[in-house]
Amino acid sequence: MNRIQNKLQQDKKLLSIYFTAGYPNLNDTVSIIQDLEKNGVDMIEIGLPFSDPLADGPTIQDSSTAALKNGMTTEVLFNQLKDIRKTVNIPLIIMGYFNPMFQYGVEAFCAKCQELGIDGLIIPDLPVDVYHEQYQAIFKKYGLINVFLITPQTSDERIRYIDSVSNGFIYMVSSASVTGSQSGFGNVQTQYFERISNMNLKNPQIVGFGISDKTTFQSATTYTKGAIIGSAFIKHITNSGVKTIDTFVKRILK
Amino acid sequence: MKYQDNIEQVAALQPDYLGFIFYKKTPRHFDTKIPELSEDIKKVGVFVNEEVSTVIEKINEFKLDAVQLHGEEAPYYCSILRSTQLLSRPVEIIKVFSIKDNFNFNVLEAYENVCDYYLFDTKGKLPGGNGYRFDWSLLNNYPSQKPFFLSGGIGLDEAEAIKTFKNSEVSKYCYAIDVNSKFEKEPGLKNVSILREFINKLNDKKTMNYNVDEKGYYGEFGGAFIPEMLYPNVEELRQNYLKVMAEPDFQKEFNQLLKDYVGRPSPLYFAKRLSEKYNTKIYLKREDLNHTGAHKINNTIGQILMAKRLGKTRIIAETGAGQHGVATATVCALMGLECIVYMGEIDIARQAPNVARMKMLGATVIPALSGSRTLKDATNEAIRDWINNPVNTHYIIGSAIGPHPYPDMVTRFQSVVSEEIKWQLKEQEGRENPDYVVACIGGGSNAAGTYYHYLHEPDVGIIAVEAAGLGIDSGESAATSVLGKEGIIHGCKTLLMQTSDGQITEPYSISAGLDYPGVGPMHAHLCKTGRAEFISITDDQAMKAGLELCELEGIIPAIETSHALAIFKQRPFKPDDVVVMSLSGRGDKDLQNYIDYFKI
Repeated sequence: MNRIQNKLQQDKKLLSIYFTAGYPNLNDTVSIIQDLEKNGVDMIEIGLPFSDPLADGPTIQDSSTAALKNGMTTEVLFNQLKDIRKTVNIPLIIMGYFNPMFQYGVEAFCAKCQELGIDGLIIPDLPVDVYHEQYQAIFKKYGLINVFLITPQTSDERIRYIDSVSNGFIYMVSSASVTGSQSGFGNVQTQYFERISNMNLKNPQIVGFGISDKTTFQSATTYTKGAIIGSAFIKHITNSGVKTIDTFVKRILK
Repeated sequence: MKYQDNIEQVAALQPDYLGFIFYKKTPRHFDTKIPELSEDIKKVGVFVNEEVSTVIEKINEFKLDAVQLHGEEAPYYCSILRSTQLLSRPVEIIKVFSIKDNFNFNVLEAYENVCDYYLFDTKGKLPGGNGYRFDWSLLNNYPSQKPFFLSGGIGLDEAEAIKTFKNSEVSKYCYAIDVNSKFEKEPGLKNVSILREFINKLNDKKTMNYNVDEKGYYGEFGGAFIPEMLYPNVEELRQNYLKVMAEPDFQKEFNQLLKDYVGRPSPLYFAKRLSEKYNTKIYLKREDLNHTGAHKINNTIGQILMAKRLGKTRIIAETGAGQHGVATATVCALMGLECIVYMGEIDIARQAPNVARMKMLGATVIPALSGSRTLKDATNEAIRDWINNPVNTHYIIGSAIGPHPYPDMVTRFQSVVSEEIKWQLKEQEGRENPDYVVACIGGGSNAAGTYYHYLHEPDVGIIAVEAAGLGIDSGESAATSVLGKEGIIHGCKTLLMQTSDGQITEPYSISAGLDYPGVGPMHAHLCKTGRAEFISITDDQAMKAGLELCELEGIIPAIETSHALAIFKQRPFKPDDVVVMSLSGRGDKDLQNYIDYFKI
């Protein structure tokens, strides 16, 4: 069984952290992953930076631009992760836009992920139908879980389709927005969380977008299996550096 | 076929079969080498009462896919060819029967099991090539179910008769049309343009499709590579755009506005002095005379009407040169809708007059501060806005780019350009089809509109002019057809300038409207299939061509358009060629650039 599937079976609410590989410094990748695991994070999304991140707000955009300037590439990231499974046990997901993977070669990319011990991918601009028709077989071949997004605007029919194609968890975007653009949840979100919860989907849901602290983490996970924090974490390491990851994680979990 | 380059020209028309006559008593006798042909074209050897061993030899030597037997070859002759072990490859056997005033179909019976096709030709003095047709109604007595070739004196004038014949019962067995002497300049030399015209007349089924398919692709390009957040917006549009565009009310309002508000039809102007200078016939399609000064308004009128019918109340747009932003701000003012335009910070600086225009028209102009701070980044910002406002907002994309259905929708709204060229050219030149249509390409909306009604007219050459910036190898360029490779930008798969790592590179051109690292997926397809000829023009070549148009014709063109004008110095045309060029925009917005460049 894949590490993601294993983790999802644990009887607890999961905290997943996103960070941009190569930021703030090119070679921070491994130590950030190790620190996050050490402080009790359940899962990590390693952002492969892209020049034109359409679905991201300014925080992640800026970190991506900086990472690219620092020299991050697909090849560099793969090199950095070459021994990651010697020290890290929690699930690792690479999150990135489709074009860099497409240029690397989708099959070569997936093969490399398997070799390094990457468990899954999140590719926001690879639509579920294109994945289903063209790439699902390749992902399966290399034991990778592909994670799809749903939003408050996604129809029930499409959610069922996404659920049927998924084999890990569903990434629930909390509201119609790019990353890092809101604070706190209101009634609309609660209704949306309830609606999805009542659909009894085969795959558990993990909420992302708009989770920044203990309060938002708790309200997001009332109805779901876990939550993902991205922009708030990037802001933290931008302001306080990579040495204080423990204080950030403790604030969420304690 | 007989001559190498003639064979290649005819092969380019993508016939199913190409014939080579191995009969020494005719001037069409083939005695050279067959050039490399597409595997889709079957090579047929035509023989008349030849020794079987010679036929086998020729099949092996020329790698023939079929033989056409034009003499009195008996059934056993065919069966030898069918069963012999001496052939390096299986061949199709086509047995020819010549028909004069009547024909006894009973002779076919003995051939039923030994050949693949029959061919019915006109009986004359010589085997084949007699140049007149037999009475096709005789075929109504055709007793077989074997597919046949229809032949005998078929020329351009027979295209209509063939279409009529296709309605007959027996035509369901008519597998192919075989043509020869009526399309010859001399024995063995085909007249390619008449042949092309014939194929066009006959059916467009076999010509490649340059329009979008039902899944939103142009060949391998296009599609909708969008984050899930955009799916409802794009899907709503996809499901509705064709339906809405087909509504008579929509058509009426659209056409009325194009006429009364935009000022269409725009003139097709014969540029006499420019033509004299370059010794060819140049027509300029005057999109610069549209309201707001460019072709962009054709699309924004269409899309604002679409947005209203979809119940949207807020409009966003991206702009490069500012032409699309102005055109969007204009239609929003016209319809009383809120308008937000994203524009790269660099473009805001170099296109100040258009920024002022947008503001006067009531739009909010938001600078894109990321990346190269030009068109690509403005598009990113507009997409982010759309993600944040999925319900009430319509995104008016200004170019033939973006996720399906945008490239197709924009192309359809712009197609009025080539629709007008057709009848305008007919009035002035007596023919609808020019020899070439030319347009500059950034994302490619003016080009898409200029080409649209000519895409499937193979006698019309398509020329796309890209911005080479400071030169293709300078690192400061926007020549996507040369520097780009397949990739994904702004929701579609297309040709894209990028690093080997798949990061999109920052393009450069003096022209803000061409400063884009990709091209629309339709154009990527036209490029990849060779349907369009792509030419790259540098800043300097463009600026000089722009100034030349001022001096020769009294027209100040937009710098985007100046790129197209610069091809006359790069590429010769024949004196009787008719070249229609889209004069996509006027140069008022570029005055400062011209002033600075030429120290005017």
